[in-house]
Amino acid sequence: MKFGVVKESQDSEARVALTPASAQQIQKLGHECLMEAGAGMRADFTDDAYREAGVEIVDTADAVFEQADVIAKVRPPTETEVEKLREGQTLISFFYPAENEALMKKAADKGATLMAMDMVPRISRAQKLDALSSMANIAGYRAVIEAANNFGRFMTGQVTAAGKVPPAQVLVVGTGVAGLAAIGAATSLGAVVKAFDVRPETAEQVESMGAEFLFLDFEDSSDGSGEGGYAKPSSPEFREKQLELFRAQAPEIDIVITTALIPNREAPELWTEDMVQAMKPGSVIVDLAAEKGGNCKMTRKDEKFVTENGVTIIGYTDFPSRMAKQSSSLYATNIRHMLADLTPEKDGKLDHDMEDRVIRDSTIAHGGEVTWPPPKREDPSPKQTQKKSEKPKEKTAEEKRQEEFDAFKRETRQQVGLLALGAIVMLAIGTVAPPSLMSHLIVFALACFVGFQVIWGVAHSLHTPLMAVTNAVSGIIILGALLQVGAGNWLVVILSFVAIAIASINIVGGFLVTRRMLSMFVKS
Amino acid sequence: MFFEEGLQAAAYIIAAILFILSLGGLKDQETAKRSIWYGIAGMALAVAATVFGPGVQNILVLLVAIAIGAGLGIYIAGQVQMTEMPQLVAALHSFVGLAAVLIGLNAELMLGSVLAMKEAGTSLAEADLTGFGETLWHKNAAEITILRVESFLGIFIGAVTFTGSIVAFGKLSGKMDGKPSQLPGGHLLNAAAAALCIVLGILYFGGAGIWTILLMALVAGFIGYHLINGIGGADMPVVVSMLNSYSGWAAAAIGFTLSNDLLIVTGALVGSSGAILSYIMCKGMNRSFVSVILGGFGGQQQSGGQEIEGEQSPIQADEVTELLEEADSVVIAPGYGMAVAQAQQAVSELTQKLRSKGKTVRFAIHPVAGRMPGHMNVLLAEAKVPYDLVLELEEINDDFSETDVVIIIGANDIVNPSAQEDPNSPIAGMPVLHVWEARHVIVSKRGQGTGYSGIENPLFFRENTRMYYGDAKESVNALLQKL
Repeated sequence: MKFGVVKESQDSEARVALTPASAQQIQKLGHECLMEAGAGMRADFTDDAYREAGVEIVDTADAVFEQADVIAKVRPPTETEVEKLREGQTLISFFYPAENEALMKKAADKGATLMAMDMVPRISRAQKLDALSSMANIAGYRAVIEAANNFGRFMTGQVTAAGKVPPAQVLVVGTGVAGLAAIGAATSLGAVVKAFDVRPETAEQVESMGAEFLFLDFEDSSDGSGEGGYAKPSSPEFREKQLELFRAQAPEIDIVITTALIPNREAPELWTEDMVQAMKPGSVIVDLAAEKGGNCKMTRKDEKFVTENGVTIIGYTDFPSRMAKQSSSLYATNIRHMLADLTPEKDGKLDHDMEDRVIRDSTIAHGGEVTWPPPKREDPSPKQTQKKSEKPKEKTAEEKRQEEFDAFKRETRQQVGLLALGAIVMLAIGTVAPPSLMSHLIVFALACFVGFQVIWGVAHSLHTPLMAVTNAVSGIIILGALLQVGAGNWLVVILSFVAIAIASINIVGGFLVTRRMLSMFVKS
Repeated sequence: MFFEEGLQAAAYIIAAILFILSLGGLKDQETAKRSIWYGIAGMALAVAATVFGPGVQNILVLLVAIAIGAGLGIYIAGQVQMTEMPQLVAALHSFVGLAAVLIGLNAELMLGSVLAMKEAGTSLAEADLTGFGETLWHKNAAEITILRVESFLGIFIGAVTFTGSIVAFGKLSGKMDGKPSQLPGGHLLNAAAAALCIVLGILYFGGAGIWTILLMALVAGFIGYHLINGIGGADMPVVVSMLNSYSGWAAAAIGFTLSNDLLIVTGALVGSSGAILSYIMCKGMNRSFVSVILGGFGGQQQSGGQEIEGEQSPIQADEVTELLEEADSVVIAPGYGMAVAQAQQAVSELTQKLRSKGKTVRFAIHPVAGRMPGHMNVLLAEAKVPYDLVLELEEINDDFSETDVVIIIGANDIVNPSAQEDPNSPIAGMPVLHVWEARHVIVSKRGQGTGYSGIENPLFFRENTRMYYGDAKESVNALLQKL
């Protein structure tokens, strides 16, 4: 099969769906690779690099559409691009089917197959081809870099000879993939980071990244997570509480990064105008939801501007494209994994298996029909598993003390019982046994206790040598045979002879093999 | 005669102290290397003090016997592979058991001849007795009964140890089927045999003659055989340490027979050592000692346990290599499968390679991994894996959540999450390595079968688990070539 990649038709898009590295991997699946000349230029991949990786370079996009069976790109196709599709051809790209229904219908009518990277289901198996996440990760990182670039101070706190510098205060709203990436980037630059999300179960992830999670004091049985781990709209009361929380934070925060999106809806307004007014001059707001209207209504899409009170608001929507090399290599890997799923036999033959959940959900047009939206499924969302792992209730100090006391009592009873039993047995033996036996019993009992004390200290890793050395030591039984071998009875002599011989095997073999083992234990 | 009686006793005291020090020195790897010499010195002293002590005759014969035994010992110690340690230890146990039986029989034989001489009115001087014979001469009737009880115990424990160890040896070396099997009647048969032994013992104490004790030795031998044969492969660590303990108690019982305190002390040391090891092993499996003795998992049909849905996803060497290249911290959890495939050398090379790339590599050892206590540690040490990389269950269990890749080599039950999550599982409550908390788990395994316990392992169906099928050694070697 021929796999082709075209140059992105939008000027603002620098990403590309194929890298030399992914091309090599795709060829291993048995496919040939084809690319429009210069498609990788803006992502810093030269045509020569592709040629070296075995990619055929053709001059025009039309040539690619003509020759390739599967075409991949980044942005949704334009009208003209859809025009070029033919029956049986597959196009893989972001598509946003909810917004582009007409286009989707058109492609379906032509008999082409459309696979939307943004429709990849959110299940663990599909993580490696989840381009939304990989792009969101880059957007989150880049948002912090843009903010720092427009922020007139250090991110990290410093004490210098020229005075003390406080660390920047960063607030991240919405802790999905982008939010978490932003938290990671901001904390590693040294900023003090706070984060908020309507899904309280993300608190653990936030804290693991080194940020403080702002909890909302709100009694609500339903939490904010919807299908597939995304957020869902919240009630007006909840929203009020939330805004109150942000309002209190606004005067102290230097950088706000908002990433709150709800699938197929306008972005919720979370950073109101009065909060912007309350912020210090020089503060920065990066609105990652600008594409969907912005979490701050003052945001201007694709623009950076400074408000009257000196707050910079960044509304870029092309963060991944601003790091084209990085995002291209991640996106190309996502595409590569998608192709790997489409060619399970690695024989270069496409197997569009509509029974496979990942392929089914991603496919939005196939065999002349629109296949979007995908059928609903029972989905064990991540939230349920989290609820399960909730910690058992902490015990109060009193309960703990009571438990310890009970355990102590139990142990005492057990020990005293055992001692009493042992003492009775000993006394019983003492009444009938001759004194010579008793003196041996004293030795025996003491040796048992010494043995118990000594052996508890032995390292686990030396248990095999311990067994070997106790084997050698129990060869001490040889003494018995030595004392008997001189008897006049020939039978006794023979038996003792055998006993001495085998006990010697034990002694010599046991010690030697222990020594051999111990000498093998070396420190790094 | 160099060692007079007082001097001999002093030598015995020194030997006993040296033995204690040599066992106590095993608390860490460095002191252990020194303390082994204490043990050797103690043994040499004890043997010399006895051979050149009072009441020993036929020195030539005994020197020949020692030479033969020592020669065999040197040969065995030089030849044995580290993977064969469990069977070697089992074989050595059987020797102690057999020696105890022989010495016990001898005691009875000598007692018989001494009593006959006394009857015939021979004087002590005319009788020309060895040290032990002389001790017998001075015993009164009550003491003779006690002596018989002691020899009876020595022979009984010795015989059980002897046949039990031989069966364990056969199972461990693969010469016998590792699965538990019992004759019809099961443990009732054992109980009946034990009752028969007691009856024979009572007859013997009453002076019924040597045939009773010979018969008792045979019956006890049967008990040893039948008992150990009923225990399955995965319970072998408990069996081996239990037999270790028995061999000690047998020596102690013989010490009582011969009124030799050094034998008693040493026997008690070894006996308690084995008992503690058995306890630790049982704890590692969360089973009581009695339930292990009364039959292993191996033969039972699976009763509880959930059905597992989902599929096992395989992985190829390339992808494993990729994961390893990307990982910062790697933990390797070996099991008996590593020993079977003789993969320890390859694993060690893998460790070196990964470490030279700046990755943290550690080993997680479950207490019952392998077929005897500490088995995995010895194998890794043989392959020159530094011992400070090799950690115990408690030391490493909390670190799995921060580990990138866990490689499981030939282990199954010790990494089974149902021990923690499924209260109906036959291994519920057993401490296990929490490997599933790591980001990626790679399981190197021959096929899709279950472990020794016969329980399905849900770990293999987890989303972060990949199955790397194939022989452990070949699989690891394949990785070595690609890294």
